[in-house]
Amino acid sequence: MSETVNIRIHHDFDETALQQAITGFAALFKTEEEKASKVLRSAPVVIRKNVTPDVAEKFRAALQNLGIGVTLEQSASQTVAEPAPAPVSEAPAAEAVAEKATPDNAVIESDKDHPGYAFKIEGRPDFSFLTVTVPANQMIKVEASAMATMDTHLEMKTRMRGGLGRLVTGESIFINEFTSAGGPGEIGIAPAAPGDMGHVYLNDDTIYLQNSAFVASGPEVEVESKWQGLTKGFFSGESLFLIRAKGTGDLWFNTYGAMIEIDVKGDYVVDTGNIVAFTEGLDYKVSKVGGYKSLFFSGEGFVCRFSGEGKVWIQTRGVDAFLSWLHPYRPVPKRN
Amino acid sequence: MDIELLHRPGNAAARITLKEGESCTAEAGAMIAMSGNMGIETTTHKRGKGGLLKAVKRMVAGESLFLNHFSVPSGEGEVIMGTTLSGDMMEYELDNESLIVQGGSFMCCESGVEIDLGWQGFKSLFSGESVFWLNLKGSGKLVVSSFGAIYPVEVDGEYIVDTGHIVAFNETLDFSITKAGSSWLQSFLGGEGMVCKFKGKGTVWCQSHNPSSFGWAMSPGLKQRRA
Repeated sequence: MSETVNIRIHHDFDETALQQAITGFAALFKTEEEKASKVLRSAPVVIRKNVTPDVAEKFRAALQNLGIGVTLEQSASQTVAEPAPAPVSEAPAAEAVAEKATPDNAVIESDKDHPGYAFKIEGRPDFSFLTVTVPANQMIKVEASAMATMDTHLEMKTRMRGGLGRLVTGESIFINEFTSAGGPGEIGIAPAAPGDMGHVYLNDDTIYLQNSAFVASGPEVEVESKWQGLTKGFFSGESLFLIRAKGTGDLWFNTYGAMIEIDVKGDYVVDTGNIVAFTEGLDYKVSKVGGYKSLFFSGEGFVCRFSGEGKVWIQTRGVDAFLSWLHPYRPVPKRN
Repeated sequence: MDIELLHRPGNAAARITLKEGESCTAEAGAMIAMSGNMGIETTTHKRGKGGLLKAVKRMVAGESLFLNHFSVPSGEGEVIMGTTLSGDMMEYELDNESLIVQGGSFMCCESGVEIDLGWQGFKSLFSGESVFWLNLKGSGKLVVSSFGAIYPVEVDGEYIVDTGHIVAFNETLDFSITKAGSSWLQSFLGGEGMVCKFKGKGTVWCQSHNPSSFGWAMSPGLKQRRA
């Protein structure tokens, strides 16, 4: 086993200096100030356990920039070796912050008290992959062809997705249902486009998804295509249909590119190609951005203006934009 | 103008926060979302400057004529910008200096930065790539994007970069377009074509991937288009 160390921080700040350090600490670890304050006020405390000396040195350098003292201690499997053990009650808070210190928060894992299925999203934000543990004799709905790996006792059934819209849009009209017969089973789900993945637990709510954003959902979530209305669909240049996910249970959706969650209060404008999902409470209108000159020359074309109160998820890249970028590279047929 | 870069380095986006009176000029098509109070104006030139002549100059340079100007009438607003290809972004602050930016890498800049779009110092016609170059000068913040990762190279002396891999460079550098190999035939067969040779002292920011190489790599798998 390689040698590892624990990182213990200590300081003797007065209140103003402490406030500054908290802000810096929160920024450094990308966490809320509240958590940072909890950790710093409980110093001296171990913020990270069993790390390699290289990593520890990086932490030391960053923390000392903030004026926080750092002691590296040899990790010991026995707690006896710790010279001044941190109070047990404070350790979890510190650990929580330390977990966030991983540079890119790449994994989302469900909590123990999560009401839906246990799941894990790895590889965020660029190459998300979803692993769900389906409890015995329960079912999960998965977008057609998105299943990548699964336990052998999972049984697959293919069903038509609700709503006729899918026939028209050219998207797959099928959804696969995987049932875990006999005991809990694991299924790995990979969306088609590389990008981020989001999860919401619907509690008798409705969420609208852009046509290709659906990944998987719990059995009690009704997934169907919904006609957007002629003006909303046509002018947006996107599909005429949205997916409506309604009911109670888990819902996973994916993006092309990274995902940004926006709390809308009042109104918010999103390019039609970058909408991933939005909550039902929001009203939306497709309109032009700015004046007529902007409509034709801004490169933005039509945008979606959301109003009301709710959430919108957007993606930082767009499939359609990428396709137009590729267009000049398409081969031209040779003339005889 | 506050800049926050999100989700670096794979699929970065820039969140620009503007206060009343501030404005931000962005490449056409860069906006992916914005708050409802954000005003957008499309012009063929930097607001209040230039005019028809500059627009024509830019047309000659083979570049989109249009820029979007974002501003908030009152209070505070935000605009989120993204690119088409995946990759990173970089923030840079000009302090009364000049930065040459490859046209496709320009994302947005503050109002204190002047954009000279018809900048012909870099004879793009001869570079063998369909790229254009912008000369950003003045003082203020700006954001550039890259295809793939972005990395700085400190040049002191001479250095060669393939034209397709250049994101931006300090104007303090002298440059010349040249061939990569010792003979023209070798350069051509090696797929390197034309490269840029920098001389002097300054920084060149490079992107790890060349967009047109990527496009041509995909080409055989794409459906034919009508000629």
